[in-house]
Amino acid sequence: MEHNPYLPQLARIISIKEEVGGARPIKTFHLELLNGHRFDFRCGQCAMISVFGKGESMISISSSPLIKEYLQFSILKMGRVTTALHEMEEGSIVGLRGPYGNGFPLEEWKGKNLIFIGGGIGLAPIWSVLQTALRQRDDFGQLTLFYGARTSQDLVFKDELKKLKETIPVYLSIDVKEPGWNEYVGFVPQNVLDKKPSPEKAIAITCGPPIMIKFVIKGLQELGFQDDQIFTTVENKMKCGIGKCGRCNIGHHYVCKDGPVYSWARLKTLPQEY
Amino acid sequence: MEKVLKKSDLGQWVARLKDFDLYGPVRENNHWEFNQISQLANFPEDYTQVNVPLKKILLPNREVLFQFEDNRNGGPYLQEVLPEEREVVVFGVRPCDARGIVLLEKVFSSEIPDIYFERRRQQVYVVGLSCYPLPGENCFCLSLGGGPFSTKGMDILLTKMQSKYFVEVLTPKGEKLIKAAPEYFFNPTDKDQQERQQLERKARAMFTRQIEGVEKIWPVLSQMFESPLWREESYRCLKCGICTYLCPTCHCFDITDEISSTAPLQGKRVRVWDTCQFPDFTMHSSGHNPRPDKASRLRQRIMHKFLYFVETFGDIMCTGCGRCVSKCPVGIDIIDILNKVASHGA
Amino acid sequence: MVEVEKIREEARRLLQEGQVRGVIGYVRGPQGVWAVPAMIRNPEDVDRLVWNPTCVHNLVLFVVEEKKEQARQKEPDKRPLAVVVKGCDSRAINVLLQEKFIEREEVILLGVSCENSGVVDKKKLLNLVPSQKIEEIVYGNNGHIVAVIDGERRVFPPEEVLADRCLECQANFPVVYDHFFGEKIKKEAINTSPGVDKIEKMRLEERRRFWEEELSRCLRCYACRSVCPMCYCTECVVDPISFAVEPTTTAEEKAKKIKWIEKSPLLSENFVYHLVRAIHLAGRCVDCGECERVCPEDIPIRLLNKKLEREAWRLFNYVAGMDSQAPSLFSTFKETDPEDFIR
Repeated sequence: MEHNPYLPQLARIISIKEEVGGARPIKTFHLELLNGHRFDFRCGQCAMISVFGKGESMISISSSPLIKEYLQFSILKMGRVTTALHEMEEGSIVGLRGPYGNGFPLEEWKGKNLIFIGGGIGLAPIWSVLQTALRQRDDFGQLTLFYGARTSQDLVFKDELKKLKETIPVYLSIDVKEPGWNEYVGFVPQNVLDKKPSPEKAIAITCGPPIMIKFVIKGLQELGFQDDQIFTTVENKMKCGIGKCGRCNIGHHYVCKDGPVYSWARLKTLPQEY
Repeated sequence: MEKVLKKSDLGQWVARLKDFDLYGPVRENNHWEFNQISQLANFPEDYTQVNVPLKKILLPNREVLFQFEDNRNGGPYLQEVLPEEREVVVFGVRPCDARGIVLLEKVFSSEIPDIYFERRRQQVYVVGLSCYPLPGENCFCLSLGGGPFSTKGMDILLTKMQSKYFVEVLTPKGEKLIKAAPEYFFNPTDKDQQERQQLERKARAMFTRQIEGVEKIWPVLSQMFESPLWREESYRCLKCGICTYLCPTCHCFDITDEISSTAPLQGKRVRVWDTCQFPDFTMHSSGHNPRPDKASRLRQRIMHKFLYFVETFGDIMCTGCGRCVSKCPVGIDIIDILNKVASHGA
Repeated sequence: MVEVEKIREEARRLLQEGQVRGVIGYVRGPQGVWAVPAMIRNPEDVDRLVWNPTCVHNLVLFVVEEKKEQARQKEPDKRPLAVVVKGCDSRAINVLLQEKFIEREEVILLGVSCENSGVVDKKKLLNLVPSQKIEEIVYGNNGHIVAVIDGERRVFPPEEVLADRCLECQANFPVVYDHFFGEKIKKEAINTSPGVDKIEKMRLEERRRFWEEELSRCLRCYACRSVCPMCYCTECVVDPISFAVEPTTTAEEKAKKIKWIEKSPLLSENFVYHLVRAIHLAGRCVDCGECERVCPEDIPIRLLNKKLEREAWRLFNYVAGMDSQAPSLFSTFKETDPEDFIR
């Protein structure tokens, strides 16, 4: 049978975890494909999740490709589809197609120090790389994580972060002061400038709100990072995932297939339409 | 293969194509459309160009991709829906529209093939009609490597002559159509050949609209992202979909779910036309819009056709049919814009 | 006769004195004779302004767009806009005033009389003469239209080339203006709406078939909605999403937005689209006819609005856009209003 790129596979939600409550809630979903189908992907790739009757949404996969038992998606409740996902229960069936996009060039980063810089829900795509690097610890140099959110409540993966601190340096931050918060108060880019990670043999991977990314890149450049040492992901509205529907382009690049991962060296040459 | 067909025999030949669904130009109110026909005696003298190009048959404005419904266990059940198997012959396709298919193939048949498009493409037989006189007041195919007698994307090209059609059979599919009634097709005489060549020469001399130096456009465009031209030219834009919906090469689409019942859930996932000219086209659900104004959307339309597509596929995504010019309610004129772009590089 | 030089003079003065931030008018378009809308911001550009029978567009649309644009700007230029308005266009201004979408001091109206004639229907004219040969289109005497073709003047009687709406127009000079150009010549409508007469005479079944045939062609390019100065809602029932999304809009609010209509151009959806639009224009449509002019599929959209215009007159003696002080039709209740439709 010919491959139909628009036909999703069915997947079951095997667990749902509430990460963040409040007005901008985030939940983490673990999905497994029905009928024992495989879903091979690379770090930084995305999948199109269907809630039948509501539509589809492109979400980055936050688990490591080395984990075969489930696919993890951390999803901010934002529109029609994500709201429906948030209302679903464990055991519900959704559609899944993909994976889409280029992914991070992990093979090229062997032996390097990886500096992860995330803001808000932007930790999700980074998490996949981080988890993979932790599982292939010998392949990489030092691992460092900077992560911030508006408030301590808005941080995702709180439990995992606590554990992570025992293995690698983790620099958390929140935007404004809160009682009981002993870590950095201020924006993520400032925290990075404060801690001065070395550009020596390093790769910085940053993901988060556009305004944060902009200042992180500026800060990294100040610290001596070259443009090809900085990687980020771009988010644009998508429908097909295969470079046909004409929606997510920046210049002649379709983010769904040529992105979402870009080195700053590459991204800065493209029109700023994201 | 070249043949001639007596004008009076056209209807006989078409009548022989019983195994096909036939489409041809049909007059509707003030314009022509490709509609299903049962016979075709001739191409009317006043037939110019159809309103909605041939793409409507290859990339219909609504394509059901699959159906979904809750099965008895409560989970969804998906049923793939592919285009029905039926071979279609379209008569009277102008060269610009046929070239449009060639450009659409680059998008839909490359990398990950789109099986809906591919299936329809395989089933469509294109019987073209060359352009003499020119069908539109804003025809400019000549500036874009096309021409009034271009055969790209066609299976057969007919040229209307004094008493006959000159028939250029271009593909095995074209041969199959001729074989349905071989007795009506004769070998052309030298005089037929001359008449056809003469018509083409005359047609090529008729163009009033052109782009000066099309080869200059894409290098110049790559430097024009921030140009004030986009704001100036788009001020009067209505944000409607006419220029793109009537374009033989524009192919942007949306995918949406249509529900016929909520309990139990039943519905269809469909692909529908969409356009970069609609303000919500690129709007994120957060409200952020990378192309927030008419200027950025006009720029996208021009850049996609004359820069991005060239960078990706080495070809310009415009066939010079002139519809977007003729049909724009506020006179936004791609030929005029491109000439302005070209003059920036001069 | 409207002297275009007088319009230019006034526009120049307004711009030079800085009284307005721009003049929305007509200029010669890229395809020669056919005028297009333009925003003139510099006094030295006012000579581009034209006035002739190809000035079909209702420029009030751009007043609406400017108003929306202003709302997005942090420090908008609050000076008024000058805008060239024909009779029907001026009525659109009145509706916007009635609905408090704009204030009167936000616009300086350069009213032009259509002088017992109207604007040209391009399709009608092109059926009579090929476009590329037309060098000039001007007003002649007694509502006639003069086209200069290959250096030769050809005179067309109004009923041959004027837009239907102009043939049916009864007040083809502005009802509200600050400056007036031309003469107020009261003219007799040639027919108030033969199209509606025809449809009203059809039997129900026939009428349904008529509209099915017409509306089945709709591509949902939304040109009719986009061109309409009355279709100014930020949130429209036909859009799958709302443009009124703020950073504070919650996901629930977005998800709750009911999808009234599918994006697919199915007959059922096309009916919903056009009927909803017609109803929302009842008592508001000023019959500028732009929706029908712009339709790439030649759907007689105007008939729907004309029918409701007739109903508004028949039931409530109401004509849209004649008086900026009058309450709008749908915001008014009178005890004498007919209610025999309630059963």
